[in-house]
Amino acid sequence: MHPISRRKFVALIASSVAATPLARGIGGAVTAQEVVDRIKKNVGVDWKQETVDTFKAGDPSTAVTGIVTTALASLEVLGSAVKAGANLIVTCEPTFYAKADTPTPPVRRGFGPPDIPPSPPSPDPVFSAKDAFIKKHNLIVWRFSDHWRLRKPDPFAQGLVNVLGWSKFAGAGDPGHLSITETSLDTLVSHVKKSLKSRGGMRIVGDPKLRVQKVALLPGSTPIQSSLKTLPDADVIIAGEVREWESVEYVRDTVALGGKKSLILVGRIVSENPGMQVCAQWLKTIIPEVASTWVPVGDPYWRPM
Amino acid sequence: MISAGEVVARIKTNLGFLWRQTTYRDTFKFGGPDTVVKGIATTMFCSYDVIRRAAEAGCNMIIPHEDTYWNDRDDVTIVSGDPAYKRKVDFMREHDIVIFRMHDHMHAQKPDFIWVGLARALGLESKYETAPQSHHFTLPETTLGELAAMCQKRLGDQALRVVGDPKAKVSRLQLGVGYATPSINNPDVDVVVSGEQQESDGFLDSPAYVLDAMTLGIPKGWIMLGHSVSEEQGMLEMAQWIKSFTPEVPVQLIRTGEPFWAPK
Repeated sequence: MHPISRRKFVALIASSVAATPLARGIGGAVTAQEVVDRIKKNVGVDWKQETVDTFKAGDPSTAVTGIVTTALASLEVLGSAVKAGANLIVTCEPTFYAKADTPTPPVRRGFGPPDIPPSPPSPDPVFSAKDAFIKKHNLIVWRFSDHWRLRKPDPFAQGLVNVLGWSKFAGAGDPGHLSITETSLDTLVSHVKKSLKSRGGMRIVGDPKLRVQKVALLPGSTPIQSSLKTLPDADVIIAGEVREWESVEYVRDTVALGGKKSLILVGRIVSENPGMQVCAQWLKTIIPEVASTWVPVGDPYWRPM
Repeated sequence: MISAGEVVARIKTNLGFLWRQTTYRDTFKFGGPDTVVKGIATTMFCSYDVIRRAAEAGCNMIIPHEDTYWNDRDDVTIVSGDPAYKRKVDFMREHDIVIFRMHDHMHAQKPDFIWVGLARALGLESKYETAPQSHHFTLPETTLGELAAMCQKRLGDQALRVVGDPKAKVSRLQLGVGYATPSINNPDVDVVVSGEQQESDGFLDSPAYVLDAMTLGIPKGWIMLGHSVSEEQGMLEMAQWIKSFTPEVPVQLIRTGEPFWAPK
């Protein structure tokens, strides 16, 4: 037993309560709920009523042994977390393969007579195995997407700037717009492919010999409105994912009509990887009690050669 | 002499089912029913390049499957401030172009030419289809790597993307087209071949699912051909069908082609 008086113990508890709004877990550990509360307090964005940023698995009152941030909590990423001794996973994208993000598959819509509710889906081996893995290792999964995206400056764009080695080109303002050393589109594509460790997910619209200098970053998934707003002031957009009938055709037409423009698609998850590295760095500053580590997700795509 | 309105009237008559008046997709996008038609081109996307090539080929009526103004509703208020929109519209005006989209009614046709065209282009013979128009095929067992290479070779698309273990043994293929991409978690399906799907946050995020299936050693594969490549094949069938009831003018497919290139 630690030689500590009851009076001192009460004082310690009181000081920690004063420092943080919620009581700490046993032994001064921080709970998953407390981590989330500190994120909400510090992220600098009003918390939305309707949001995907909620716990997806595990007990929020669990003491956190370490935090892993990732763009996608794949089984491989969860395995890395367990090996590293971390039990709280902060993921940008869903864990259970759908916006619904539940440990059983979503109920298929539009089948059967409308007055009879659809029967529950049969067990799915991938959903079940992931759920079992999370339970076996007492992991807690919390999604952080809606609000992290709204933080200023945009951490996803900042992450891309960091990994592309463009910090020296970024001003104090929006990291999503920068002027790099002029180069050709195909040279830029090679640089992006290498920097983001892309395997087969990259797709490009535009002349490979086009000279490019003004770069705009659109990480994640973006609608046509974002491209319409961004393209006029850029030579090249580097985006995660767009709708092909929208931004891809828009850039194709702009190029065909003589516009010196281009579009590099890297994939949604690949585009979000570096932003979750920024997240781990930020979490270190507000959660000093435990280690926060980024675990990258490899490019899901390959293509035959 | 035939007007665009008459061509559309014949399309409606030959469909074999009632026109859905509520469609916002299958309408005139440029020009109108009174335009005199010199020739008809079917295509996937009404891109500027397609319009230019159609005009060169003497086709002033274009029947695309997809949108003209870079959004599904072809809402011009979204795009009208953009220089590319103005130049595209100017070109169409100068060349007396008329555009009528065929999307919803094409997918409602039996059979749907879009699926027919893609199955033809991929060499998916009907003897392999589990049930007529199920788009579910049981093929002689192959690997995901071999199947993907076959798709790329047959369609010639550079930027095809695949998720899954190239060595995974696959046989049961669910075909999709465009954005109508089936979910990979169906127990009767080893591999989905389709056009486009959002990577995550949808009804079922197949890329993430296949990644985990791969970790678990469950053979699953996901092959994305690209939206344009997957659906433009069936515009050949559409051209042939329109030709059968518009003998007055030439009808041809003008390929939109793949918009992308891929790095080495």
